[in-house]
Amino acid sequence: MPYRPMMFALALALCLPTMVQAATVTIDVRGPDGQPLTDAVVVVDVPGAGRATPRGPYVMEQKAIAFQPHVLVVPVGASVTLPNRDTVRHHVYSFSKAKKFDLKLYGKEDQRSIVFDKPGVVALGCNIHDTMSGFIFVTTSPFADKTDARGRVQLADVPAGTATISVWSPSIRATGNMLSQSVAIGAAGFATTIAIRR
Amino acid sequence: MIIARTLMARRGFRSLRTKLAVLYTALFAVALALMGGVGQVMIWTHARGSVQAELAASGTVYDGLWALRAKTLTDTADVLARDFGFRAAVAGGDVPTIGSALTTLRRRAGVDHAVLVDLDGGVIGASGPLARTLSALPRQLRAGRHDAVVNIGGATFRAVVSPIMAPTEIGWVVFAMPLDTAEMRSLERLSAIPLIATILRRDAAGHWVSGNGSVTPDPAVDDLVAGSTTDRPLTTLSLRDGRAFAIAKPLPGPGGRTQAALLIRYPLRAALAPYIPLQISLGLAALIGIALVVLGSIRLAKGIARPIALLDAAARSLEEGSRTEVAVAGDDEIGRLAHSFNRMSAGIVERENRISHLAFHDSLTGLPNRTYFRQALDQAMTRAGRAGEQVAVLCLDLDGFKGVNDTLGHPAGDSLLRHVGTILLDLAPDGMVSRLGGDEYAIILDGGFDPDRPRALAQAIIDRGATPMATDGHQIATGFSIGIAIGPDDGADPDQLLKNADLALYRAKRDGRGVFRFFEASLDAAARKRRQLELDLREAIQTGQFRLNFQPVFDLKADRIGGFEALLRWHHPTRGEVGPAEFIPVAEETGMIVAIGDWVMQEACRHAVAWPDHVRVAVNVSPLQFRNTGFQAVILQALARSGLAPNRLEIEITESVFLDGEDHVLALLHGLRNIGVRVALDDFGTGYSSLSYLRSFPFDKIKIDRSFVTSVAEDKSAAAIVRAIVDLAGALNMETTAEGVEDSDQLARLRGQGCGNIQGYFFSRPVESAGVDKLLQTVFSQAA
Repeated sequence: MPYRPMMFALALALCLPTMVQAATVTIDVRGPDGQPLTDAVVVVDVPGAGRATPRGPYVMEQKAIAFQPHVLVVPVGASVTLPNRDTVRHHVYSFSKAKKFDLKLYGKEDQRSIVFDKPGVVALGCNIHDTMSGFIFVTTSPFADKTDARGRVQLADVPAGTATISVWSPSIRATGNMLSQSVAIGAAGFATTIAIRR
Repeated sequence: MIIARTLMARRGFRSLRTKLAVLYTALFAVALALMGGVGQVMIWTHARGSVQAELAASGTVYDGLWALRAKTLTDTADVLARDFGFRAAVAGGDVPTIGSALTTLRRRAGVDHAVLVDLDGGVIGASGPLARTLSALPRQLRAGRHDAVVNIGGATFRAVVSPIMAPTEIGWVVFAMPLDTAEMRSLERLSAIPLIATILRRDAAGHWVSGNGSVTPDPAVDDLVAGSTTDRPLTTLSLRDGRAFAIAKPLPGPGGRTQAALLIRYPLRAALAPYIPLQISLGLAALIGIALVVLGSIRLAKGIARPIALLDAAARSLEEGSRTEVAVAGDDEIGRLAHSFNRMSAGIVERENRISHLAFHDSLTGLPNRTYFRQALDQAMTRAGRAGEQVAVLCLDLDGFKGVNDTLGHPAGDSLLRHVGTILLDLAPDGMVSRLGGDEYAIILDGGFDPDRPRALAQAIIDRGATPMATDGHQIATGFSIGIAIGPDDGADPDQLLKNADLALYRAKRDGRGVFRFFEASLDAAARKRRQLELDLREAIQTGQFRLNFQPVFDLKADRIGGFEALLRWHHPTRGEVGPAEFIPVAEETGMIVAIGDWVMQEACRHAVAWPDHVRVAVNVSPLQFRNTGFQAVILQALARSGLAPNRLEIEITESVFLDGEDHVLALLHGLRNIGVRVALDDFGTGYSSLSYLRSFPFDKIKIDRSFVTSVAEDKSAAAIVRAIVDLAGALNMETTAEGVEDSDQLARLRGQGCGNIQGYFFSRPVESAGVDKLLQTVFSQAA
C-alpha cells in the first residue's frame, strides 16, 4: 500500500510573538472514514521542554480477554502494572524493541509490574488469546496523550515556539505507525485537526 | 455419350417399377437421414450435457480441492506464523533461527518454497526473482485474501501468505508452490473422469497459452477464459491434440489481475466414445432398414407394375391391330382395369371387323366390292407371277338391267342383283366373285385352274342366265354378257388385265349381248382407235368439221321432190371422210351426240327455210337426244331462228327411243306434234318392229327399211312385207317412204304397191347443200 501524505489544516487562531510561556494545544484526529479516531496518541515535542516524569500508577489490565485500556501512554521510566482481572490465564508478551518481556501463565489478580525504560511503542499480546492486543506508548515528551471518544487531545501548558507534532495509531500505515509534522505554537495556543487518509 | 445418358435416364424413368422403388427408398432414406441427424444431435447434446455436468462437477471439485489445498497450506503457514518462538525470532531478527524454521517447515509441509517477508520487504529463505516477487506479494494482496497465483520467470506459482502477528503484523510467512505438470497430474487424478488440466498464461501478445505448447494462441480460448470469471461456460475447443469440451478457471493473481488460468478439458473423442457402439448399431439398423425397404418396394412395385406392363404390352399389340387378352388377376383396380381392357379390346376388334367388312364388301349382295377385288387381284397376280400360273378375270354385265329397274322398280332390281350374286357364287366356287358396282360383277380364277375353266364357267353363266330368274315375285328374263381376260398374257398388271376384260365385255355387248368374248389384242387396238376418234370428235365439234348433205325424198304421188333427209358428214383434216356408222356410236356413247344433234337441227332448219314451201327437211334424232329434257326447246329454238314452218320439219326416230320408257317418249312426241312438227318412224321392219308403237302414236310417216326394198323386186316375201307395211300405213293414215331404192324395177314394184315416197341412189345420192337447188330444178322424167 502506498503512503498517502497527511494534510494539516492549521487554524492559527491567535499567534502572538510574545514571551507567553504556555499555551494550550488542541488536536482533533479524524480517521480515514472522517470519524473521530479514538486511542490515537498525539505527542508534541518541544525542544528544551525537558523530559516527562512518571507519576503513576500506570495500569494495563487484562479484563474480559482484552487489554484495558487498549492504549496506555506512559513516560520513560514508568512502571506499569499488568493485573489479570479475568478468571482465565493470560500469557502476556512483547516482542517490541522498546521492551521485550514474557509474563507466562499467571492467574487471577496476579499482577506484575514492568518498568518501561526506553521510549517507543510496546505491542502487547497474549500467547493464549491471539485476539488480545494492547499498546503501551512510552514517550520522553511531557506533552503526550491519547485521543478521547471525540478524537480530541488537549494539552495544556505547552511552550510556544516551534514544535513537532506526532500522531501514532496502529491504523496508520506508516513506518512505526506514526506521522510527524513541525508546527509553530503560538502563545495563545494551538489547535488543529489531523485527518488521517489512507 | 450425352445422348446415351439421356436415353438411359429416360428409360429409367419410363419404368414404373424403378420409379416406385426409387421413390420409396428415397423417402425412407430421407426419413432415416432425418432420424440419424436427430440422433446425432441428441447424442451430441447428451454427450455435451453429460460432459458439461461432469466438467461442472469436476470444476466444483477442483474449486473445492483448490480451496482445500490453499487452506491446508495457509494452516501450515499459520502454525509457523503463530509459533511463539518463531515470532520471537522474527521480532528479534534472529536470521539463522528463522532460516532453520523455514527449512523445517518446507520439509514438514512438502512445499517447495517457504519464505519470510518482513515489514520492510526483506526476504529470508529465497533469492532472485522469486524473492522479489514474493516480497511484494503480502502488501499486494487484497484484504481477506491469503493466496494468489503468480508467474515467476517461466513458471507459475501458487503463493500462500500467512501474517505473523505479535500481536501486530511483524512479517509474513509465504509459501510458493509451482503449478507444474506433476501438480496438474495430481489434480487430474482426483477427478472421476479422464480430464486434462493445463495451466494457461498470457503470452507477449496477451493470448492465453500453455507452457507445454498443447494450447496455442486461439481466440476461442481467450473468450473462454474471459467469460469464465463469474460462471463456468462449456466450450468446444479445437486444440492440437483434438477437439475437446473445456471449462476454464481464472486463477486470481495479486492486486486483482489474473496472471494464470486453469483449463480443464475433456477430449471429444473420449466424450463420444461411449456412444460409438450406439452409433454403429443405429447405422447398421438404418442399412438393414434401407435394404428391407428397397426389397419391399421392389416387390410392391412389381406387384403394381407387372399387370400395368402387361396392359401396356396388350394395348400396344391392340394398336398394331392384333386382338389381345390380358389375364385378369385379383379384383382390385388393376384387375378391373384388365377386365375393362379386355371388353374394350373385344369391342374394338368387333367394330374393326365390321368396318373392314363394310370397306371391302358390297352391302347389297355381301360380295367383295371393287376395292377388295382390286386387292385380291393384286395378290392373285403376284402369287401367280411367282408360281408361273395364270389368272383369269371374268367381267360380267347384266343385260337390260336398267329396264328391270325402270319397269319393276328398284326393290326388284336389288333383289335381282342379290339373286345374281348367289348364282355366281354357286357357279364359281373356285373363283372369287365380286360386285364392282351397278350390274357389273367380276370373277377371279387363279391357282392353277384348268385351261378350259374360264370358258366353261362363262358358258355355264350364260346358260344359267338364259332361263328367267324368279325373284321378288317376278320372273325376270335377262342375260349375261361376259368379257374374259387371262393374265399374264392379256395383261401383266391388274389394271391392264381388268381393262382388257372390260374391253372383252364391251365387245360381247356389242356382239349382241348374251355371249362371252375373250380378250384379243385387236380389241385393245380398236379401243385405242376409238379413244382417238373420241378426241377427234370433240375437236370436230369445236372447229366445225361437220357439214350436212341432203338426200332427196321423191313424192311419187305429187311427182316431185317432197323433201330432203339431212345427213351428217364429217370431213376430218387427216382422216378424210369419216362415215356416220363409225363415229355416231362413239358420239352416242360419249353423249356428244346431243351437241351434234343440236347443231344438225339448227343447220337443217337454216337450209330448209330457203327451199320451196312444199319441200320438207327430215332430221334423224338419236335416242339420247330424246332422253334430254331440253330437246323440245332445241327444236323450238331451231324453228324460231330459221323461221321454218314447223310442218316442214320431220324428225326421224327409231324404235329404240322407246327402250328408255314409253310414257316419256310419247309425251315428247305429242308435244312435238302439237307444235306441228312431223314425226317419222325410221328403219321399220327391223329390230322389234312392235306394232304396238304404231298404235300408241300416230306417226306421220313410216320409213320401210332398205333390207326389204333391196329385194322387193326378186323376193316375193319381201314384196309381201312391203305391201303389208304400205297397206298398214295407209290404214293408219300414215305416209310411207321406201329407202335404198337403187333401180327402176324396185321403183316400179314400190309404186305398184302404193308406196308414197322413195329415197335412194336410183333417184339421187346425198348432195351438198349447194346441189339442192339444182336437184329441185331437175325434172325427173324417168321417175315420172
